Formats: sequence, structure tokens, C-alpha cells
Amino acid sequence: MSTAAPALSTNVAHRRRPAPALAAWIVTLLALMAAGVAAFIYQFANGLAVTGMSNVVMWGQYILFFMFFVGLSAGGLIVASAGRLFGVKAFKPIMRLAVLEATVAVILAATFILPDLGRPERILNIPLYFNPTSPMIWDITIVSVYMVMSAFYVWLYTRADLARRGSWLAFGTGTSERAMRREDRAKAVMAWIALPAAIMLHSITAWIFGLQISRGFWYSSIMAPMFITSALVSGMGLVILLALALRRLGRLAFPNDLVAMLGGLLGVFICVEAFLLLAEYLTASYPGAPEGVAVRRMLGGPYLPLFLAEVVGGLLIPFAILATRRLRRDPRWVGVAAAIGIVGIFVHRLNLVLNGLSYPNIELPPGLPVGRPQDGTSFAASYFYVPTAIEWMVVLGVLAFGALLFTAAVWYLPMQEPEEH
Amino acid sequence: MSDPKVSPIEALSPASRAWGEIGPHSDQPQWGMVVDQERCIGCWSCAVICKSENNVPLGMWWNRILTEGEALDQPEVTRREGLEMHWLPLACQHCENAPCVKVCPVQATYHRSDGIVMQDTDRCIGCRYCMIACPYGVRNFNWGAPARPTPHDTGMVPARPLGTVEKCTMCVHRLAEGQVPSCVWSCPAQARTFGDLNDANSRVTTLIRDREATVLLEEVGTKPSVFYLPPRRRSPL
Repeated sequence: MSTAAPALSTNVAHRRRPAPALAAWIVTLLALMAAGVAAFIYQFANGLAVTGMSNVVMWGQYILFFMFFVGLSAGGLIVASAGRLFGVKAFKPIMRLAVLEATVAVILAATFILPDLGRPERILNIPLYFNPTSPMIWDITIVSVYMVMSAFYVWLYTRADLARRGSWLAFGTGTSERAMRREDRAKAVMAWIALPAAIMLHSITAWIFGLQISRGFWYSSIMAPMFITSALVSGMGLVILLALALRRLGRLAFPNDLVAMLGGLLGVFICVEAFLLLAEYLTASYPGAPEGVAVRRMLGGPYLPLFLAEVVGGLLIPFAILATRRLRRDPRWVGVAAAIGIVGIFVHRLNLVLNGLSYPNIELPPGLPVGRPQDGTSFAASYFYVPTAIEWMVVLGVLAFGALLFTAAVWYLPMQEPEEH
Repeated sequence: MSDPKVSPIEALSPASRAWGEIGPHSDQPQWGMVVDQERCIGCWSCAVICKSENNVPLGMWWNRILTEGEALDQPEVTRREGLEMHWLPLACQHCENAPCVKVCPVQATYHRSDGIVMQDTDRCIGCRYCMIACPYGVRNFNWGAPARPTPHDTGMVPARPLGTVEKCTMCVHRLAEGQVPSCVWSCPAQARTFGDLNDANSRVTTLIRDREATVLLEEVGTKPSVFYLPPRRRSPL
């Protein structure tokens, strides 16, 4: 069923020495990682007071990136495994990439939890004293299961090529007719497991927020569906960008038709996201009741520019690009739309955190004790969170770690799916 | 955490001791508190004694007094009633259906059998999910190393470590000695009443019944153990 890989394949390239550009890229990533580790140690020694968080906005940048990366992970895998389940042959060239992207993204998401903890050295208390009613425990469970599952999925897709190459990473599996038949069956079964797992992964992450009646902006049954659509927009967008980048680097080959098809799909996901946003915010704000105060505030408060950036930048512009037939047929424009869409979803999640937390429920003066005596204020009725340089250094360090993981994986693992007859 | 300090309650004069006694209660008490907003004069005495009793660091308040009016020092002009201004002392509500207990991933926040919601700062991992879940905003996180105005610890309970969440405990260290929480005995206006919600004849239950006590944010269904007696008349200004 498989033949020699096409000319552009990485199957022969994997033993090459790193080119200077690649070496520079890796050194940059290692430097960013070192800075991130230093920042994390500094934060560990001095406490989370070095971040911009307070008793009012008690979750910030780290949680934001956590849910963003869970979304990136789930989105890529939902598209890939749904494609496999429903026999969309056209997706085949990017299957490996989508699965790999999902794996790296979920590892990053889990990493972002660590710097958010006030006592990261007590992390083992989670398995020791886990509380089954906590959505955070549900999420840690699904993230762990999903991480193992997606890593196995990557292996399943690259195993035959690794075996052909004689790599120990094939773990003794071969490429005989029987082994290949078994692999095909395993892939089919995995698609059935991966699709619901990816959907549950992001739904449970949504429920960390959406089940909290104390946060009016979040307490809504639309949170899980909205998280899924934002995952699809951002995850698909990232898969498109990575695929285009790898094609440019000569490590992946696929026709332009696929980019146009993915672009069209992305346009549809953006529409669903816009529809859910409208349904949610209209329902919340129309009655003018206290329940909708957070939404009304967003539409008329200091966070309005961010909301406009989300709607215009994140939804309208990429949709306009993708809905134009001529632009959709141009991979560069699809790449631009995907990039703007990803940023838009990031801003959407930023809005979720900021609007959900900036205002306490009981808004009487003097407000909440901020808990940061170094700022010179004891109380605040609202709080505008701005991440500090330390938070950015930690985030950049984790992102560099992810980029390094991905680079190494793309370097060592064959990304090109063999041609099918 | 170091051991709690030796209580000075034993050294009190009989009269002072009797002043702070919880009094008769059932075999299985469910502790509760009633705050009379008509009596509260907004003096912050309870907030200050809470800070010293519980060794609460700078920048944190387990108990604080909110002002119901237009601003801190301005009465609200309402259309029907004219000028109005009240105070709302706010600390942990020790909810029966406590959102913080539900969400804590490591069960560091838990219910005692007497209904008090406790925080185990030796187990807390500092994820702050309980602060997300609490509708009342009464939980404090130790963002930096806890700072205190003097090098000497104040209060009767050990300090809490960096990176953990802390909050009102209803002065469990005083309850163990049969004494009411410090905010209760110290109130100059006697606006606070402490007692057993399980005892149908206790002062808290009779006050709740006779004065039609309310709870804060009843719509979120937390079933607090702290009740409020709404002001029946306008405070003279």
C-alpha cells in the first residue's frame, strides 16, 4: 500500500546536520527557555506578588495561555480525527502534523499550570488528596489521558516509517502486511477515541469556568460549545500555518486545493463562533437584569476596544478573506486569515478572563482587599490586570519549550504521509 | 505552621470571661452568626480586632465593613426614602453549600462537623480556584511574603505561609474554649450575635425568625451560616 516517499519527504532528510538557520533558531529557543526558568525561579522565591494578579483578578496570563493551548490542541485533533472518521481523504497529508500539533499543545497547556500555582512544590497533593467534585480535577484527569493518547497517536502515524528507517522508536513493530493491517485498524479505533476525547478535553476546560455561579460572565451553558468552536478556529488555524511553514521548508507536501478546503472550513467555524457570541451576549444583555451586568459592562466599559478587536479583527476580517473565492485559493491569504483568527481567539479568551474577574459580586465601597501591600492600596472595587515582565518571560519560556519540542519532532519524525495508490 | 499560642482566655477575669461565653447550645451545634445592620455603626472595630486576633498580614482583611450608600462618606439619595446609608460587615459566610469546598482540587478547604468552612494552608497548592468560586470575595491570597507592621506576631493563631489562601475561621481557636469569635464580643454596638443554628431557642435562631433575617446573594444558593438583619428605619444622619 505504501511506496517510496515522494521527493519532498523528510524520510531521507532526517539525518542531515542542522543548517545554520536551524541552529540559530534552536539557540534562540534555548535562551528564551533559560530566561523563562530564571523568571520562574524568581517568582517561586518571591511569590506571585511579582505578577500583576491580585485578590480581585486572581487568575491571569498563565490560565489564559493554559486554556488557549488546550484549545489549540483540541481544535487540531478534532479536525484531524473527524476527517479520518468520516473518510475525508484530502486531509491525509496533514494528519501527522495535526496529531503532533495536538500533542505539543497539550503538553504546553499542562506546563502553564505550574507557574500559576502559589505552591508548585505541593503539586503531588493533587493525586494524594484529589477532590472528585472539583472541575479542576476532572480537567487534570482528561489532560493526562489526552496527553498519553495523543503521543500514542503520533507514534501510530509515524511508526511504519520509523520501522523502515530501523529506528528503535518503532519499538520492534515491523512493516509486514499484517503489521500494516493492524496499524490501519488501530488508526480507525484511535479516531473513535480521539474525537470524543478532544471534545471532552475542551468542554471540561470550559466547565472550570462555566460552572462557577459566582462569575456571571462565565456562568452559562454556552461556555462548552463556545470553547469548542474557538478551539476549532484557533487549532485549525495553527495547523494551517504550521502546514504552510513546513511546506515552505520542504518537509511536507500537499496540494493548494487542501489549503483552500481548510480555509473554507475555517470560515465556517468562524461563522459558528460569531453566532454563539451573538446568542450569548444578546441573551445576557437584553433583559437589563443584574445577570447581564458583566456583558453590558464589556460593551460599554474599558474593555470595549478588546471586544471590538475580537469581533472585527478575529472574526470579520478573517471571514471576509476566507469568503472571497479568489483569496481562499491563495495559500498566503489563507495563512493571513488563520493567523488573524488565532490572535482573535486569544483576545476572546483574554476578554473572558478580564471581564469575568475584574468586578466583584458585592460592589460596595471600599471593595475587596487587594492583598498587595507593596502597591500602596488596601482595597479596590475593580481592578485592571496587566501582566508583568516576569509573567511574559515565563510565558515566552514555555512557548520556546513548545517550539523546541515541535522543531525536534519535525526534525526526527517523518511528517510526510506516504502516497496511497 | 508552628503550634498555636497559649490562650490568654484563662487569665481573663470572671466577668470578662462570661461576657464572651457562647452559652447553652445543642449537642451537635451548627455555628452561625447574625449581623444586625440596624445596630452597626461602621466603626471597623470588628475588622481591626479580627486582624490582630488572627495575625492577618498587611494588605489583607478577613473581615471588612462595606458601605451601602453612594460612596464611602456620602449617603445615597434614593427616590422613595430620601437619604440612606448603611454598613455591611462582610467576612466568610461559612456556606452550607460552599462553592469553595466543591472546587478545591486537594480538599484543603473543607467543612467541619459544626458547619465551619476551614482552610488547611499546609495542604493548599495556591491555585486560587476557591477565590474564583467564592461569590463574596472574602478569600485572601498570600501574594508575597506575609508582611506585618511589627516583628512580633499578633494574635492567637499561627501565621500562614506564602502562596496559600486564607480567610475567616469564625475564631475556631476561641470556640474550642467556649468563647464567641472576637468580632462578636468586641462590637461596641452589639450588632453581632453568635450561636447554635440547630438550637431552636438560641438567640441566633430567634433573631432570624423574629426579624426576618436575610442572607447575602441568596440567588446563588450557597446557604450561608451568616445572617443579616436589615435596617428597619433610616439611620439618622
